[in-house]
Amino acid sequence: MQLFLGPYQVGNSLYPLALDLFIPTIFFFFFGSAYRVGRYLMTYKKPFVAVPIASQEVVRGKISSIERVKSLVDTFSNSSKVGLKRKPVTTTAGLLMHLGLVVMIFLLAQHMVFWAYYLPPYRVLFPLAIPESSTDGLLSLTMSTFPRTPTPYPFVHDIWGPLTVILNGQYISFLLLVLLGIYLGHKFHAFADGLSLRAGDWWFFLLLYVDIVLGLLATSHIPNNVVWYDNLLGGHILLAEIIIATLPFTRGFHMFEFYLGKIREWYFMLYRRGEK
Amino acid sequence: MEAINSSVNLDALNKAIDEVFYGEIDSTILYYLQSCVNCKACEAACPFTPTSLKYSPVNKAEVSRELYRYRFTVWGRTVGRFVGGSKKYLSLSEAETMFDYNWHCTNCGACMFVCPMGIDSGALINLMKEAAFKAGMVPKVYSDIANLEVSGNYWEIDVFRQAWNSLISKMKEAVGEVPLDKKGSEILFYASLYEAFVYPEVLINVAKILTKLKKDWTFMSKPLGVRPPIGMVLGDKDGALNVMKRVYNYFTDISPKYIVMTAGGFEYLSLKYTMHETFKVKPKYQVVHITEFLAKLYTEGEFEIEPIDKVITWHDPCQLGRRGGVYEAPRILLKALSKKFKELPSHGVNSFCCSRGGGGCGVPTLVENLAKMLNISISQEDKKFLDNTLLPLINAGEIKADEVKKIKAKEVATGCPVCIESIEFSLNYYHVDSDVLHIINLLTDNIKVRNK
Repeated sequence: MQLFLGPYQVGNSLYPLALDLFIPTIFFFFFGSAYRVGRYLMTYKKPFVAVPIASQEVVRGKISSIERVKSLVDTFSNSSKVGLKRKPVTTTAGLLMHLGLVVMIFLLAQHMVFWAYYLPPYRVLFPLAIPESSTDGLLSLTMSTFPRTPTPYPFVHDIWGPLTVILNGQYISFLLLVLLGIYLGHKFHAFADGLSLRAGDWWFFLLLYVDIVLGLLATSHIPNNVVWYDNLLGGHILLAEIIIATLPFTRGFHMFEFYLGKIREWYFMLYRRGEK
Repeated sequence: MEAINSSVNLDALNKAIDEVFYGEIDSTILYYLQSCVNCKACEAACPFTPTSLKYSPVNKAEVSRELYRYRFTVWGRTVGRFVGGSKKYLSLSEAETMFDYNWHCTNCGACMFVCPMGIDSGALINLMKEAAFKAGMVPKVYSDIANLEVSGNYWEIDVFRQAWNSLISKMKEAVGEVPLDKKGSEILFYASLYEAFVYPEVLINVAKILTKLKKDWTFMSKPLGVRPPIGMVLGDKDGALNVMKRVYNYFTDISPKYIVMTAGGFEYLSLKYTMHETFKVKPKYQVVHITEFLAKLYTEGEFEIEPIDKVITWHDPCQLGRRGGVYEAPRILLKALSKKFKELPSHGVNSFCCSRGGGGCGVPTLVENLAKMLNISISQEDKKFLDNTLLPLINAGEIKADEVKKIKAKEVATGCPVCIESIEFSLNYYHVDSDVLHIINLLTDNIKVRNK
């Protein structure tokens, strides 16, 4: 599809191509997910529970609901707790990276508009949007009681107040690049030590790294040219689509399986073994 | 790993790998195989990473993942063959590395609890252990001991008979009559030959406690194996199955209400869960660790515990705690015993493994002594293997020794014979002025029966 806006043909850039490919990407993602889940279902064997916890007289009393919830929180947080104690650098980098990615993907204003276009109810989260620019964040910090901004839309009026000085697209992008850099350094270190490294490690991290750089360049208008802008933004979306489409076949799927693994661990310890 | 060079049969190993991978992958194992993100968080918990990062759980389990990818993923079947990460079979050097990795894992489960994905790398290493066993890649000294157990010939060995009979005699001296194989008793006091060797006094103390509490109990006229089912730690599933049949028959024959054991190692899980899950039977009895049993009686008010004035602590045996879920019972008893009970910095699900059990099956000198008593010759290869197991024990032991020192515990109580040996070794090696002992030895003299 080509749109003629004066002398510039939008259809000659990567941008419309990327948009056209979004729905097929989602289909491919669901196909891959079904394949992955299907493999679990096909290999599932119903366990024989020989010693149900309820049959054990030595279990002390009933485990209260509060204890169950506490145990669930412990299950999810234990990895970070132990990691912070014994591997503080990589654990901190990992936690911040995940936090940064979640904020960027789901709360950056531009991303929210994109998600809401395909999924309209997403609009309810609009009040949580973070701005793209660090300049607006600084304004919010220094002039929070009387926000001023050179743009006609003073989005420093957001829910985050002075926090937008760090909760903005630019700042988090830089942070993510540094944190991903630490992770990549960790991988190079493992490579030098002859430890396990997988093609999937490079695939996911490098795609993510380049994708963030493209997104940052596009929104910062570097270079300041509409053709470049469209191609950079289109490239950013295309890379994101490759990541999404291949999620079920890569480590990226851990964003879903993480919950499965931890809830299984919690269930096993609470309901299948001994006391608690 | 020269220790296995002479015995590697690659054809047998290839066959075993196919059998294990095509026969045993279920949804849980599939999840463990394909969900790892290689974040290496598991390094933080493994008792073998202080020795080398190559022994981190993710690195050890990668061997099984490579074999899995070739068989079960499109990537592994195509691109992976050329860019790495996928293997049909192992070369000789890779087989040696796999063997080395297998024996640097105690299957303690610590990695599972720090893994953000909840992956039990030990289960994957167990797959490789099983394949290795099928191919005859197992330290001969262990397979000889296991063969004695599987065949039932252990009872033909004088030194074993003497140890068991001497145990029963000492029990009789301590408590008077010792009921043997009494059907329908409320409690079957279960022990293995191994326990009779390494801590007979603990078994005698249990007999004293049961007698003091006027319980209807019985003991075994002869043991059911060396440390049944020892095949579980060697990767010998079939051997373990045979031994478990023997144990199950005995348990059902006696038909008690409780089967009480003092060992909280792999036998606790095997005889409480695995055995019944394998035979698909719901037992009418309950298999319990002595701490569970005593905590129940204590909370029901059957006895009091006379307190002592010492800083004491509890080391959670991995199989009893992390895998068995028994955390509270020993703490109920120890907190009643001393107001100065302190937790080790790493406890509960994060208890730091003593690095023995499946990862060396005991302190090397103890294994050598046992072999000598049984007239099992230790080859140069086995000697090398056993010597190699010492360094991880020293390295992991330093962490345990530091933790004990930090809380200034005078007594470290635990509930597993191998934990006692290995922690004792570590405390001595690092000159820590603390004792490690079975919780029963701390409790016996302080249990006061309540007058009803």
